Amino acid sequence: MLQHTEIDVRGCKLNLHRGGHGEPLLFLHGAQGLSDHEPGIEALTANFDVIAPDHPGFGKSDQCAAIDDINDLALFYLDLLDALELDQLHIVGQCIGGWLALEIAIRTTAPIKSLVLVNSAGLRIKGVPRADMFVCSEADLLKLLFAAEGAAEWLASWRASPDLEDIYDRNRAAAARYSWSPRLCNPKLEHWLHRIDVPTHIIWGEQDRVIPPAYAAALKDRIAGATMATLPDCAHMLHIEQPQAFASEVSQFIRRAAR
Amino acid sequence: MKIFIFHLMPYSDLDMSYADKYRAAWVVLPNSYFDPKKGHELYNRYLDELELAAELGFDGISVNEHHQNAYGLMPSPVVMAAALSRRTRNARIAILGNAFCLREHPLTLAEEHAMIDCITGGRLISGMVRGIGAEYYSLGANPAFSHARFQEAHDLVVQAWTRPGPFAFEGEHYHFEYVNLWPRPYQQPHPPIWAPSTGSTETIEWAAHPSRRYVYLQAYSPAQSVVRYLNYYRECARRMYGYTASSDQIGWSTPVYVADTDEKARQEAKPHIECLFNRLLRLPFEMLFPPGYLSAKSLKNMRSHKRSVSGQEHTIDTLIEQGIIVCGSPDTVRKQFMDAHRLLGFQNLLCLLQFATLPRDLTEKNIRLFASEIMPALQGLTDKEYGGMAVQAAE
Repeated sequence: MLQHTEIDVRGCKLNLHRGGHGEPLLFLHGAQGLSDHEPGIEALTANFDVIAPDHPGFGKSDQCAAIDDINDLALFYLDLLDALELDQLHIVGQCIGGWLALEIAIRTTAPIKSLVLVNSAGLRIKGVPRADMFVCSEADLLKLLFAAEGAAEWLASWRASPDLEDIYDRNRAAAARYSWSPRLCNPKLEHWLHRIDVPTHIIWGEQDRVIPPAYAAALKDRIAGATMATLPDCAHMLHIEQPQAFASEVSQFIRRAAR
Repeated sequence: MKIFIFHLMPYSDLDMSYADKYRAAWVVLPNSYFDPKKGHELYNRYLDELELAAELGFDGISVNEHHQNAYGLMPSPVVMAAALSRRTRNARIAILGNAFCLREHPLTLAEEHAMIDCITGGRLISGMVRGIGAEYYSLGANPAFSHARFQEAHDLVVQAWTRPGPFAFEGEHYHFEYVNLWPRPYQQPHPPIWAPSTGSTETIEWAAHPSRRYVYLQAYSPAQSVVRYLNYYRECARRMYGYTASSDQIGWSTPVYVADTDEKARQEAKPHIECLFNRLLRLPFEMLFPPGYLSAKSLKNMRSHKRSVSGQEHTIDTLIEQGIIVCGSPDTVRKQFMDAHRLLGFQNLLCLLQFATLPRDLTEKNIRLFASEIMPALQGLTDKEYGGMAVQAAE
């Protein structure tokens, strides 16, 4: 089970969800934040010491005035790793979290043992349309995020209390802050992906329309030695829709990489 | 009281069946719906209407900014203000407003406003707004920084208008090595700044600050909100800042339609005013309030408010009943404004006399009737007729 702890990183209070035993694994969440029930992340606690922070401005973490964009976030997370005295860790990032993992890794892979990118934002492939999760109605958003099951349940979990409703709004505002323009990407990122020299695995929901699977292939082409798996019956919220498949993809990849 | 005519310059030739296919007349409505030949006719007609109002003795004519939509065809109100500046002689030209903070380079707007102020010999009023949520989709500006950029763009522009240049501007969002405006504005220290809003305590507190004392303009609101927010401005000045706000600092903006009788006014305005609210102002919640655009507290209020009214289509009867529009015979309309003035004391009134599909002939009739039957009585109103807060307490 994941427990909440709070850590102060140079004046910014960060809420961490942490649990499990094994090698440290940092889970970087996406634009939708971490909901109260994250079975995919919980499944990882069987094999790893899972650390899943609410990014600054998301969930119960402070919004730090100095952290405006993805570059600030990447540097902030390097500070967090120092503060937690973590190295040799695995990073798993979904959506904006995948983008953040890439931004950290192009700066340094020294503390990183392996990288897993799940329906990751960050790249921009010209001419490949992506659906806009900000402008659409709530009903359409659910259709974008989920292939089938689980959408209504997920939304209901945010409607369970006024506090959670506030966090839902807070998450949307924080996601806009970091990814509004250019939408969900850093156009210069692709020029620096050659710096990633750790085992990298790419996992994608076959029906993702927020970041279509063409992006998985583009990442694989640009990151040396990267492997890729596309999972059926899921979209952008793969880790919630297919929690067991997600956790076993991550665990098996890390096991393979260790050999 | 100063009376302004306000124009949105809508694309009134819009095929209204668009609503069967598209969720908004903004952002996502394809511009293939826009016919440039119709656009040519409309722009010239609308400019004629504003010029007519100036001739008829309105104190000011005003335009505003919206992007990528059919509701208002003025992505650059500066262009319209420039066109009007040489065709009018005495009327104030009010840009209400320009969203300086949507620009990466607000100084371009500061320059253009200074030019218009010089051309007109100091007739410009500069409204400063954040732009509605939809503009943040259309122009790509990040809504999460909207408030901060609004304040900083304001500071930059006021400094550019007032401080001897060249100087460096070192902000969080804007950075310029050389701020040195040529031309400087005609009015000293700078053109009057107005803050139009549909009701925001943050905006009121900002506008009422003693270092600014900007005109707060309440737009598009039910009568009870007009009362609440205009009074809040006065209260805010008194309680928060310790001064008595002048009635010149307060304004109300509303659609108005006048005809010979109440019944005729209702009948003539009905299809057009309902089109304005139900078709051209069709904006889903997500477009109106992109994430980060409102503070957490304001968003929460807005959500509960919207849930209670969602799905509600306006009719002219509900619009009149709630006081969102003023519509009726000259006697009815005059009395309504005089009563409102006795209650609230606003010294600026902006009337939207053309709306949505209201055609040329009815618009001209509306402008002329308003100018002859209502305006003279209102222009004579001063603080003597304002009953003050005491009247409200008694009522």
